[in-house]
Amino acid sequence: MHLDMGGQIGKDPWFITGISILLLLGFLAVAGPFLVPYDPYDISFSPLDPPSADHWLGTNDGGMDILSELVFSLRNTVIFGITAGTAGLVLGVITGLFSAWAGGWADQVVMRLADVVLALPSVMVLILLAAFFQPSPVVLALALACLAWPTTARGVRAQALTLKNSLHIKAAQRMGGSGRYIIARHLMPELFPLYLINFAAKTRMAVFMEASLAFLGLFDPGEKSLGLMINYALQYYYLDIWYNWLMPPILLLSLLIMGATFVTVSLEKIFDPRLRKTV
Amino acid sequence: MHIWKKWLTPVLVYLSAALVMAYASFRLPTLLPGDFVTAMYAGSDVTLNAEQEASLRSFYQDTQGFPEYLHNLATLDWGYSHAFMAPVSQLFLQALPWTLLLMGTAHVLSTLLGFFLGVEAAWRRGSLMEKAGVGMMTVLEGIPEICSGVLLLLVFALSLGWFPAAGAQMAYADHTTGQWLVDVALHLTLPLATLILAYLPGNFLLARAGMVMVLESFFVVTARAKGLPPRRVRYAHAARNALLPLVTRFGLRFAFMITGALVVETIFSYPGLGTLLFNAIAMRDLPLVQGIVLFSAIMVLVANLGMEYVYTLLDPRVGHAS
Amino acid sequence: MTIQIKDLTIYYQDLDHALLALDRLDLALHPGKITALVGESGSGKTTLGKAVMGLLPKNARAEGSISLGRTQIMGLDEPGMNQVRWSQIAMVFQNGAASLNPVHNLADQVAEPLVQKGIGRTKAMAAARDLLARMGIDAEQAARYPHELSGGQIQRGLLAMSLILDPQVLILDEPTAALDAMTKVFITRVIQDLRRAGKTILLITHDLDLARNLADDIAVLYLGRIMEHLPGTDLVDRPCHPYTLALVRAFPFMDGMRELGGIRGDAFFRMVHAHAQEDGRTHAHVHVAAPDAVHQGGHAPPQGCLFQPRCTQAVLDCSFGDIDVTACGTHQVRCIRGGIARILSFEKVAKSFGKVKALAPTDLTLMAGEVFCLVGETGSGKSTLAAIAAGAVIPDQGRRIFQDRDMDTWMKTDFASLAPKIGMIYQNPAESVSHRLTVFDIVAEPLHIQQQEGDPEKIRARVLAALADVRLSTAPEFLKRYPHELNMGAVQRVCIARALVHAPDLLIADEPTSALDPSVQAKVLKMLLSLQIEKGLTMLFVTHDIGLARKVADRIGVMANGTIMETGAAARIVNHPEQACTKMLINSARGQDTRSPGIHP
Repeated sequence: MHLDMGGQIGKDPWFITGISILLLLGFLAVAGPFLVPYDPYDISFSPLDPPSADHWLGTNDGGMDILSELVFSLRNTVIFGITAGTAGLVLGVITGLFSAWAGGWADQVVMRLADVVLALPSVMVLILLAAFFQPSPVVLALALACLAWPTTARGVRAQALTLKNSLHIKAAQRMGGSGRYIIARHLMPELFPLYLINFAAKTRMAVFMEASLAFLGLFDPGEKSLGLMINYALQYYYLDIWYNWLMPPILLLSLLIMGATFVTVSLEKIFDPRLRKTV
Repeated sequence: MHIWKKWLTPVLVYLSAALVMAYASFRLPTLLPGDFVTAMYAGSDVTLNAEQEASLRSFYQDTQGFPEYLHNLATLDWGYSHAFMAPVSQLFLQALPWTLLLMGTAHVLSTLLGFFLGVEAAWRRGSLMEKAGVGMMTVLEGIPEICSGVLLLLVFALSLGWFPAAGAQMAYADHTTGQWLVDVALHLTLPLATLILAYLPGNFLLARAGMVMVLESFFVVTARAKGLPPRRVRYAHAARNALLPLVTRFGLRFAFMITGALVVETIFSYPGLGTLLFNAIAMRDLPLVQGIVLFSAIMVLVANLGMEYVYTLLDPRVGHAS
Repeated sequence: MTIQIKDLTIYYQDLDHALLALDRLDLALHPGKITALVGESGSGKTTLGKAVMGLLPKNARAEGSISLGRTQIMGLDEPGMNQVRWSQIAMVFQNGAASLNPVHNLADQVAEPLVQKGIGRTKAMAAARDLLARMGIDAEQAARYPHELSGGQIQRGLLAMSLILDPQVLILDEPTAALDAMTKVFITRVIQDLRRAGKTILLITHDLDLARNLADDIAVLYLGRIMEHLPGTDLVDRPCHPYTLALVRAFPFMDGMRELGGIRGDAFFRMVHAHAQEDGRTHAHVHVAAPDAVHQGGHAPPQGCLFQPRCTQAVLDCSFGDIDVTACGTHQVRCIRGGIARILSFEKVAKSFGKVKALAPTDLTLMAGEVFCLVGETGSGKSTLAAIAAGAVIPDQGRRIFQDRDMDTWMKTDFASLAPKIGMIYQNPAESVSHRLTVFDIVAEPLHIQQQEGDPEKIRARVLAALADVRLSTAPEFLKRYPHELNMGAVQRVCIARALVHAPDLLIADEPTSALDPSVQAKVLKMLLSLQIEKGLTMLFVTHDIGLARKVADRIGVMANGTIMETGAAARIVNHPEQACTKMLINSARGQDTRSPGIHP
């Protein structure tokens, strides 16, 4: 059933909107830090300045340029999201494939483990880790991935099991194909839609977590983050800074998550033909 | 044997998860680099005198084994918070009702509303209302609680002043019961609205998607053929089946939901567990952090376990939701 | 109550085209009668069922009228339709367990319509359990969920559910598909009981055996139009329409004889494009598309019979005009030729060679598209009759009509136009070809003689096509071979190619395989039969072996002493022989020789 996915995706308005937003923000995250005029850690400017020609978004309470801060925060958030998303995806795919292919008690063990990890409220574990150890964001992202792999693993395992029992895989086996060959040539490409959807969904959750945890003060205050900016800005709400200090990170964060949401929703819709008829 | 397996497996799974959490909580302090006592309250305004230090040390170090630790947990001996000068369990139990009120109402309302709107939207598939609904909800789904909460706070509390900006009730006010209820309701509105805005789209979209799939089933045609009134077809037959995927994915959405609740409480200074946790973290009051996290986690686990059994009741075809 | 369907047209609207499901259907369903609607997938059968219930999907457009008694029910709004549904017309769907709600148990679902009508729950449940018990489902099973029930139980449950409000009209969609034998029997009996109770029953099925056993009358549906409407008992023995005959031939009846045969060509979809005419009305322009070309631009091919591309007796007129229904005996057929035509008709044909009376005055009728076997012992006159049919021998007396023309006159005035229509294969392949001609020449010979083609290129093309048909090589080396260089089977195949190269309508085969080894015989026969279906040939097959005839024939004529003693459908002749000669032939074929009682195996 080789459906014309590429064509379908390209035409879906949600996907186009989402991917455009993400590409724009991605560009900002990558190129931004080289384009902004100031070092975000530079506290030499007068604090709480309104926007001016020098500082397009003004300065914050510590005297740092908000625009620079914004771009660096965006980059950090994006890095966190992609790290967690990729790591979670890879972990999930490997475990899921292994579990499906090995079968037997190995499969059972992995699945029970997945159940337990799934039952753990991930944010609680992250809070514990962050509160006690204050690790770097990358470590936390990896920790999040270690908590998020079960959903992917389950999905991959389910589809791999169905495929494993399908006729064309059995035919390949009888022709002499080794396990590695079959996984590489038949299983992995078949699971492609799953990869996309899972990656998009995980990245979205990771970005959400990062912003929330940063807002709650769990990260090292030295690390720039959109959530942290919102936290600080909120404390100064009475100073009429909402439009240059509070709103920009809120807008950017919303756009980021919206882009990821649109892409996820669109992918889920495309790859599940039953939902295709409306929107 | 099979029946035992069916009922026991979820219990075992969740019990294991709870034990893992408890053990992590037990071991974590000892894994801190350096002296954990100095790590606690580090960078905050709290200074400990020798006596307090000693009692902290004894609470955590000692020859306390894991079973004793579990026993302590069970008897609500969760340690002492030197930042708030109160036992951890007391602080927890004070904040708990507010969180339950907020989250409970938010969940119930958003689930009911999301479900009904989703079912009705799917029934009117292809119409303008449905397309607009789905579009709106997808956009709403993309706005995280931080953003919507801050926006609501800015607009309705700080600018327009229609609702209070902080707390769950007016402090030191001398209210009658009726006035008190109104007061609580007013304080509850904005955080509740934020959470509902955050939870609603997910429920709506899931309900609609599930309903769309169910409406194409053969048994829905049968129901119509039986001359049943449309509402019965829609709810007793279709929606009843569309409920199942919603319940299955409920557990998976929990990670989002808890984080959101924490953030919202913090934004509105709502005196629930979220704000408590936020403050505890700010002051590096590790015993308090531990207590809140551990017990919230256990509550979540119990709730999830309950959902598993609810699912078995709803769908006669399955053993349990996984 | 009578259901009257008039001029019903239904098509499904997709984004840029529409698929025609039913085309001006006329059908009447009467109380106390079971009407079967048979057809293959895509014929529109389930669409009709759903249309009567008002359950067509949103993208369906319907025109025409459906009336229940005196009330018009097509186009009724939902509340109006809900009054009719289940209480007056009920349907048993073909999806088995999928037709039941997985989260309600069986008894609840059966009782549900009663409860909704206002009957108290206890009474409703009791009535439901009672009805289920009558269908063979006990109380314990009735309390189960659909996934806990077997296919047979589900089907009985569905039947019970449809009867709960005691409707006057029942529509059954494939009620016995995929069921075990016992349940099939039970359900068949229940349906017969329902007929006796005076209900109007529409049976939608592709199971011809069920239709034959149950139905009072059968409507045969092809691409949305009814091709034939006939009494149920006539389905196997006396179909009038070529499509009905082809369907019967394709169905594995237990008492059938001949090998299953398909229908040549493929069915297609019918698309509708709406054209606005000058008078303001929209005219649905029917357009035909092959299954793999869903979108085709342009207009429809010429109107005419839908079955024409696959029909074995199509004439030029079949491609034009709109075909109406005509009577053919007690049947109604939609065929421009009034049903299956006679291709050959002999009346009192006789022939003597000197004093030997080879053929006594005999009648013979060949229907277009069938395989007719003449079976008899040596000297029974079968070869003579075949030779007369081929035009090789002129009879002493009798009328011979071929394709509605008198053969005598035809042969005398215009033999050149008759010759290509009849092909002949002989018993002895080696002798029937000249040993001096190459394979190519042999096969090309008829074309040269009959001067059908002047162009050598075209002749070559037709020879190669004929050789490919019989699965012989078309390589140049092979074309240059001589008959004595080939084995007998190959030579016979060359003869067959020769007989077919001029596209005959009638193929006469006189013991074509008796000189061949059994394994070769089997191959040649299979090939011959598939060619017969591919090309829509009528075949007159002469053999002494009734066992062989059984495998090959639609109809058998048993000859003895120069005359045809018995004619009939192959199944009937072999299973219920009437004449002594037939019985003898059958017994000797079975190894029980009744003429020599002294010799027992």
